[in-house]
Formats: sequence, structure tokens, C-alpha cells
Amino acid sequence: MTHRPKLRPLARPKVVTVRTDERGDPVFVRLPGKPARRVAVVRERWRIDDEWWRHAISRDYRTIVLDDGTVMTLYHDLLEGLWYAQRG
Amino acid sequence: MAKSLASAQGVPTHHDRGWAQNSPNDWLPTTTADIGWVTDSKPASYSDAVSSRRSTGSRRALCLWLPTFELRLELVRSPELDSTSVALLSPGESARRTIWQVSERAHASGVRPGQLVSQAVSLCTSLTLLEPDPAHYDAAVDTMLEVLTELTPIVEPAGRGRVFLGMDGLERLFGSPRHQIDRALRSLFRVFPSPLVAATRAGLAPGKFGAWVAAASARSGSPIIIPEERLGNFFARCPVRALPVDPLVISRLERLGIHTLGELRRFPEPALVAQFGEDGKNALAWSTARRIDPVRPWHRPRPIRVSLEFPNPVGMVGTLHGALDRLVERALSRPARRGRSVTGVRMGAHLEGGGSWFVETVLREPTSDRERIVAPLRAKMELSPPSKAVETLLLELTDFGVASTQTGLFDRKNESGRATSELDFDQGEVPANLRDAVKELKLRLGHSPLYRVVEVDPWSRIPERRHALLSFDP
Repeated sequence: MTHRPKLRPLARPKVVTVRTDERGDPVFVRLPGKPARRVAVVRERWRIDDEWWRHAISRDYRTIVLDDGTVMTLYHDLLEGLWYAQRG
Repeated sequence: MAKSLASAQGVPTHHDRGWAQNSPNDWLPTTTADIGWVTDSKPASYSDAVSSRRSTGSRRALCLWLPTFELRLELVRSPELDSTSVALLSPGESARRTIWQVSERAHASGVRPGQLVSQAVSLCTSLTLLEPDPAHYDAAVDTMLEVLTELTPIVEPAGRGRVFLGMDGLERLFGSPRHQIDRALRSLFRVFPSPLVAATRAGLAPGKFGAWVAAASARSGSPIIIPEERLGNFFARCPVRALPVDPLVISRLERLGIHTLGELRRFPEPALVAQFGEDGKNALAWSTARRIDPVRPWHRPRPIRVSLEFPNPVGMVGTLHGALDRLVERALSRPARRGRSVTGVRMGAHLEGGGSWFVETVLREPTSDRERIVAPLRAKMELSPPSKAVETLLLELTDFGVASTQTGLFDRKNESGRATSELDFDQGEVPANLRDAVKELKLRLGHSPLYRVVEVDPWSRIPERRHALLSFDP
């Protein structure tokens, strides 16, 4: 094939630094290149376990509100142990 | 390995005396269509001089044949399978898959082409089954033809792994026939690994039938060259199964006790015509070496190919339909189409975990309308969906009709930018001013900086799977 464009996924997750409490909920979130912000409230929580037959996905999602009012969606990758911020 | 694979397929060699003892499936091309010959309906009694004068082809033919070409390519790709029992599944999506090609070890265990998978696995429990990858095989054929075209301009493919070369007039360039064959095989070394080339069988004779029979009866590394005066004698021992005629004719001939071409040519032409019609006449002409089919230059198709690679394998039909729409748009916008309408389309995919899938359609009437091209492909996809998730979707516009671009005097596409809001971008209409703007940006930046958001899997639970950016390059 002479022409093979690749689709560039939207809403790709970005790694963030998160400090959690004893229950595993985020308390402080720091986006790359920005100061850490306190989490005001965790609004929602859900989990995705999928594609165990391919490359397993196991994510613990949370919708949070930061102390400046920003609403964010974070997830904890339960296989990698990293935290990600994601739009959508 | 190469030699044993060939013998696994039961291909008769020149040294085999019991040609007729081979099973009916040993000879691969049993019909004219299989062998891919040009079969004009001229009388068999046409003199060779007349046929060669009227033809643009080459009378001296070299046949290069790689038996079980597809399986050999798989073994080249996965050398670790070379010492195991391997079978290639037949293409297609029927519920009862059958075996297509088998390795020497699998053959020794009793696995045969045409068997059901369940039968094959029960005969050989350690059998490794491979999904066919037509895209990979076709690419290998293209490469082979490309290289051989440098040797002679008259190249005629006859299915995968078999090609006829016109060798008229090459003596002064490459020397004796043997040198010419060596030269052709050396060309293959440039593109294929040595085990694959070493397995190639070669036969040089007047006409394609002679060359094919010579190649099929040759051993790897020992090509057979048949001069014109020996052609008749050479055919005498050939099995009737070698004839590119209807398999029913072959079967009837064998039931009548006619097993070799030598036995066949003892019969008068009227008797054969009365029994078998046109096939009988052709069979006699081939067996007596009166009919010499020249190798004809192959018209190399130049399809327009586009593809789309998914970030993650996609199994949803809706997503594939959306991607197909985008691909058709891209293909239609290619300058190589030069305004021609499309009459033939091929859609394929590289599948997750290896293998590929293809469907092909001939359009009822030439068109350059996206919907008319997409609709039959979608229908084919419904009937024969990919067996696994798709990693890359491929589209080829294979055949073209007359030019269909006719710009009207008041074509909305050529209107000013203010009118563009009325245009429906989803229908693939790209206004001329936007097209020009992208062209300018490409000249300046080297790539199109514009993207179109496309739905990939809008209902996916994983957010990054839902939408993606596709380069906007009309």
C-alpha cells in the first residue's frame, strides 16, 4: 500500500501525579507543568475491565472537582499503577 | 524441505513413470480458467506460423512454478514452523473450513488438501493451522512480476506462484536456454529468500502448455528444456490430467482408458469432437503439439490503493462502514484517477493476529459516486465479514471506466467561499477554495495541517477509542 494514514485517537490519556488518601481516592492532583491542586470532591466513580483476550484493560475512573472548580476525569490504571487524566 | 513439499503435493516429476497413478488433484490447473490462459477459439488446425504472426506474444515460453507458493511464503515468514506440521486453511468464511495446503510433515501424518479441519486435526494432533493472508501473497506476486519484467517485457502471470515468460529473442542477450533460465532464477533471488527460489521449477518449451508441462515435470534445480522437434514425443507420456480442459472431460477420458496424451492422439479429431466438443478438439491440438499458445504481454493494472490503520483493532461493523466511507472518499480524490469512473473495487483488511481478508465487486455501471461504490461493498461485508478484528482497512479501485468528471457551468463547488456553508461535507464534497487552501498549506509546511474528526467506535467504554483525527488531504 502506498498511502497508509493512521488515525490519531482523540482523548488520549495523559499521565498525572496524584496523592491519594487511605481509601485510594485522589486528594491532590498535579498536571504536568502545573502546581498541584487539592481535590474538592469526588463526584462519580466507575470501573472498566475489558479486552482480557487482547491487552487487558483495568481502569478505576473518577470524576473529580478541583478546588478551583475544574472538573476532571481521572483513572487509576490498575495494571500499571499509574494515574491518568482523560477528557470524555 | 522444498523438494519434499513438492512431493507432498504429489506433483509428478519427469522421472516418475507412473504419471497416471497420481490422484486427480495432483495437477493443479485442470481448467483453462485455472491456468489463466488466453483461449481464443481459433481452430486447432491453425498453423503455428499463422498464430505467431497474428499474435503479439512470444512463442518460446518459460514457465516458473512455485508449488504451494502461499504455504512456502508463510514458512518464510515464520521459520520456526518449518520443522512442524503446518496446514494453510482455505480462504473463505464457510462454517466448515477445509485444508488448502499442507507441509511435508503434515502430509506424512495423512493430512491432505480438501480435508475438513476436524479431520485434519484428528489425523495430526500437533497440526498448526494458519489463516491465509492473501494480501501478503499478492504483494509477493507483484514483487516477483516486477523483477521478472526487467528480464523480458513479455510476462504473463497464471495464478499465484506461476508465471510465463516470453523468451523469444533473448538468446543474444542472455545466451543459451539454460543460461536464460538461470538468469530468471537469479532475478528471483533478489526478492525471495533462497529456500523459496530453490523450490522453483522451470520449464522452457514452445508455447505455454509445453512450458507448463515441462515445469510441472521438472525437479527443483533441474529445469527441463524441450526443443520444438521433441515436443510431440515429450507430450506422449504426459497424463491427460495436464490438459487445461474441463475436469469432466479428463474424468471421462480416464474412464475410457485414455490416460496419456500419447493415447489420446491416436484418436481421429472428428471422434474427439463428437464426444467432447471444443475441448476434444483443443485437447488433440495440444497433445499433438499443433497448438502453440504464445505468451502474451500482461497488461499490468495500476489500481488506486488507499488504507486506514486503526489505533486499536476494530470489530464493529458500523465502524468499518464509516472507515470504508472515508477510504472511498480518499480514493476518489486521488489525482491518479484522472476523472475516470470506477467499475471494479476491492476491499480488504489486515486482521488482528495475522491473516487478511478480501472482498471484491464489479459495479453494475461505471460510477464515481461514493454511495454507489460503498453499497455493494457493504453488502459483501455483511455476507462475508472479516473473521477477526481489523487492524488496517484497505481499498483498491481496480478497474476504471470512461471519465466521469463533468463540471457544470454553475457548479457549486467552484463558487466563492461564502457558499461553502451550504455544502454537505459528509457527502465528501470539498469546496474548491478549501482544497486550494490545503494545497497551499501543504506546499508551505510539507503536510496538510488540517484534520477531520471521524467516529471510530462512538459507543466504546474506552474514551480514546471513540473518535480520532484523520488527516484532511482532499
